[in-house]
Amino acid sequence: MQMVESEHKWKAWLYLSPAIVLLLVFTVWPIINTVRMAFLENYSGLKAVGGMTFSFGIGNFQKVVKYQKFLQCMKNTILLCILTVPISTILALLIAVCLNSIKFLQKPLQTIFFLPYVTNSIAIGMVFAAMFNIVGSFYGSENEIVVTAGIINNILEALGFHKVNWINSGSSYGANITVMTVYIVWNALPFKILVLLGGLQSIDKQYYDAARVDGTSRRRIFWKITVPLLSPMLAYVIITGFIGGFKEYTSIVGIFGEKMGPPDDALRLNTMVGFIYDALSTNNQGRASAAALILFGIILIVTLINLRVSKKRVHY
Amino acid sequence: MNENTIEKTRIRQRAVGALVQVLLYAFLLLMALIVLFPFYWMVISSLKTLDEYRMSVPTFFPRRVMLSNYADAFTTANLGRLFLNTMYVGIVSTLLSLVITILSAFAFARLEFKGKNALFGALLATMMIPGELFTITNYSTVTKLGWMNTYTVLIVPFLVSVFYIYLLRQNFMQIPDELYLAAKVDGTGDFKYLLKVMIPLSLPTLISITILKMMGAWNSYIWPRLVANDEKHRMITNGLRNAFTETTGDVNYPVQMAAVALVSLPLFLVFIFLRKYIMKGVSRSGIKG
Amino acid sequence: MKKVLMTAILCMLCIAAVFAGGSKEKGSAAASTGFQVPENGYDGSPVTIRFYHTMGTNLSEVLSLYIEEFNKLYPNITVEATQVGSYDDVRDQISTEITVGGQPNIAYCYPDHVALYNLAGVVVPLDSLIESEVKVKRADGSEEILGLTPAQQADFIEGYYNEGRQFGDGLMYTLPWSKSTEVLYYNKTFFDKHGISVPTTWDEMEAVCARIKEIDPSSIPLGYDSEGNWFITMTEQLGSDYTSATEPHYLFDNETNRDFVKKFRSWYQKGYLTTQTLYGSYTSGLFVSENDVKSYMSIGSSAGATHQRPTALADGSYPFEVGIATIPQADKNNPKVISQGPSVCIFGKSDPQEVIASWLFVKFMTTCVDFQADFSMTSGYVPVLRSVGEHPVYKDFVAQADGGRYISALSAKVCLSQESAYYTSPAFNGSSTARSQVQTLFAKCLSAADGGNEDAMIRKAFKEAIDECEYQN
Repeated sequence: MQMVESEHKWKAWLYLSPAIVLLLVFTVWPIINTVRMAFLENYSGLKAVGGMTFSFGIGNFQKVVKYQKFLQCMKNTILLCILTVPISTILALLIAVCLNSIKFLQKPLQTIFFLPYVTNSIAIGMVFAAMFNIVGSFYGSENEIVVTAGIINNILEALGFHKVNWINSGSSYGANITVMTVYIVWNALPFKILVLLGGLQSIDKQYYDAARVDGTSRRRIFWKITVPLLSPMLAYVIITGFIGGFKEYTSIVGIFGEKMGPPDDALRLNTMVGFIYDALSTNNQGRASAAALILFGIILIVTLINLRVSKKRVHY
Repeated sequence: MNENTIEKTRIRQRAVGALVQVLLYAFLLLMALIVLFPFYWMVISSLKTLDEYRMSVPTFFPRRVMLSNYADAFTTANLGRLFLNTMYVGIVSTLLSLVITILSAFAFARLEFKGKNALFGALLATMMIPGELFTITNYSTVTKLGWMNTYTVLIVPFLVSVFYIYLLRQNFMQIPDELYLAAKVDGTGDFKYLLKVMIPLSLPTLISITILKMMGAWNSYIWPRLVANDEKHRMITNGLRNAFTETTGDVNYPVQMAAVALVSLPLFLVFIFLRKYIMKGVSRSGIKG
Repeated sequence: MKKVLMTAILCMLCIAAVFAGGSKEKGSAAASTGFQVPENGYDGSPVTIRFYHTMGTNLSEVLSLYIEEFNKLYPNITVEATQVGSYDDVRDQISTEITVGGQPNIAYCYPDHVALYNLAGVVVPLDSLIESEVKVKRADGSEEILGLTPAQQADFIEGYYNEGRQFGDGLMYTLPWSKSTEVLYYNKTFFDKHGISVPTTWDEMEAVCARIKEIDPSSIPLGYDSEGNWFITMTEQLGSDYTSATEPHYLFDNETNRDFVKKFRSWYQKGYLTTQTLYGSYTSGLFVSENDVKSYMSIGSSAGATHQRPTALADGSYPFEVGIATIPQADKNNPKVISQGPSVCIFGKSDPQEVIASWLFVKFMTTCVDFQADFSMTSGYVPVLRSVGEHPVYKDFVAQADGGRYISALSAKVCLSQESAYYTSPAFNGSSTARSQVQTLFAKCLSAADGGNEDAMIRKAFKEAIDECEYQN
């Protein structure tokens, strides 16, 4: 028994060795370096080349936490996470289940839902911005001039609603967040559908046949068979969804540009990663690293909660 | 229960079934439309003149169809070379990445060793650090290794993805222990078991990983620009981003969109082919999920 | 698992602490003490120099043509020109490369990029090179002095040349490569029809806007592309403080600036003007629009003239003629217009021959009249040399200027006529933050709701912008 055990160990490490070596060089070392930079006061890579030395301390962290807009960054990040992860997961699950239960048009529809993978993110951001963008001036005032209200508003008006100032000057925070939620969910869907559909298709048909013979209702089949058997995949998309959500940045740039907000209130929608980018672009690697570590801490806590919950619920 | 009520129930069941089908299709088609819209936009944008593209009121169909944008896209960006480079990097890194991912996922899913859970947790934790911060350190590492302007530098640093290991481990863990123990009793080695049982059973996931990895090669931008931006090794996104800048610093978006559409096409075809393959892989797995 | 993770993280922190305490950042000699020109100048040895730029395909072709010309004189100097992407891409790439000493020899730059690179002290001050009288042999047997002759120096348009010396230490770090500015595009057909004269001051502009609003109430008379340029140009025209190359850097929160912001806010409320971010699209799109809502004036880059021209009709004529003029001024007798467009800087290298070779190349390109003329005609930028105006081909090009087909030439003509008006603002690490902050501030003050107290809103916006600048750097 002892023999087998040690042989096993040896084998496991052998299997893992390529991954571990690469991770040590290209992931672990950068992390250590990040920690180092975070604890050097006002560290800047360019200044270091210029011959400056930096003392050890926690000034970078203090500077990040004291920043007046840091709380806003955190609020935006968390809000977007809480909104987009459940919505996109439920929608993806619905689509995957529907796709799995139809015959006619199944293949073309599958292709369509995966299609966003084969396109370029530059293009999609521009398209979404154009869909919500109002071109014009002085919205809501007596001088209002609207050249084009954007296709979303055109549809709203056709349905008898008022048009909404989504992303332009004078738009509300709620409207901004709505647009971001729609865009992020759209972006996240294909990946989640791909994973969930893959999971669904590996569920044995016999379960369903057995349930049908028993006369079990559709809803019961969904909750008692589909969801439990799919739970590993669901746990996966939820956990990665949260991790991705906390790193939200490019999607906001896609809609609002580098201003990270409507023109009259820039940085309103800035996120944690956006904050890190700002620090990097002014060559404040120390502050960027400190912010990254804080972000890491938050994600870690959320993931641990996620794992704990999924331990109870996931059926392997 | 007389025959009449049975008949009624049957009719009702059928009606409900039909209604459900209609709702299913309505829902799916609506979602499909939403998903498709940006593509439609990409295609019509690629056919517009720059002036029309820049108009305040977007047009939903180009006034003058500029097929020449596609010709421009092909000639100005040296697409052929970019395409070959990207294919090469994509294929090699996908193959190597699959091997590494399978080995690691197998170790985590099937083998027992001390510190397994801790190591796995640590791996998951690395996913949580914004990758942008790694760039600076990794850049100095590859410079010291002398990898600048090679294919190696485009492939090796990103071979390990914790995402994929996680995904595959989940899949491997669904394969029942009984199969593994039976194989042990039969004297089948771990490696043979991995090759003959686990990989075929996880084919859909492996194909998903392949697609993701290929897409990664297609979309990677910041890293290649930094470490291998010479003519010989330039990747497609870098080529696309650089080639269509007008003299004023504006980007000629219609031509760029045309180029994006052109390079998306092969991937699209590959995908259609792989979709059938996914089906096959799924139908073969007659095991408990 | 939680415990193990925490332990792992603690370990990482400890390692880092040891690392941080034990390591001294190695100091490299800062190059800003000046470049020592070798006694024999360029020794003719084979050198490869790398040049990062943002030129598109058309311009790259022009460039390689003149690299060939350069190689006729210096066959041993190989120039590897790479298009890196946008200006920001060039900056980001080089600042990463500097950290491992992998920067190129020459780069397209904006002043704030140079200030950033100089945190590492890697940009070569050009003074010793410009003044050098060392003789250099060329392949065709002729000789030139390494530096710039007084005639060559005088040929540069002064405003452009001085941009290289605005870094607060009196040293020259860049040479202008090619420039653009902002000009006022107006709908000449409309102006002529209604007998409106082109506004030369902001006061006249207000009257013109009011008049246009009377004629066409659904119009937005003026579109200004860049709030950032506008703000900075106004401070320059009014002589008020904006930034300083030395501490304290951020001086733009003052009475004069708040006043002009308030004035333009009232214009915006009256529907006189819009900007790119407020309008939600390119204001040039509004200017050339064929819809009911349009503008009759547009202030934008001189290099973008072709975008300010309406789409040609089937017979090749244009729906209206475009006029181009200098932008409105605060003081007509002391005009100020912004100077934009790339300069080039040279990076320090351990081998002085690389620096010399880079200098020879930069000197060749920036003082070559043929190149400047060709480059300007291809790009829509304006040449940095006075004598290009006398260049026969360029002269012909400018002579055909009109408000339709040859609109680029018209734009160039206007730019050439205002050469004494160019200003540049101080460059320091953080000047780009200041720029983006005043841009945000201006857009906000024009359009935001004020809750009944306009002054308080403006005051608060200025204060926040200053705070943000101080924080970022």
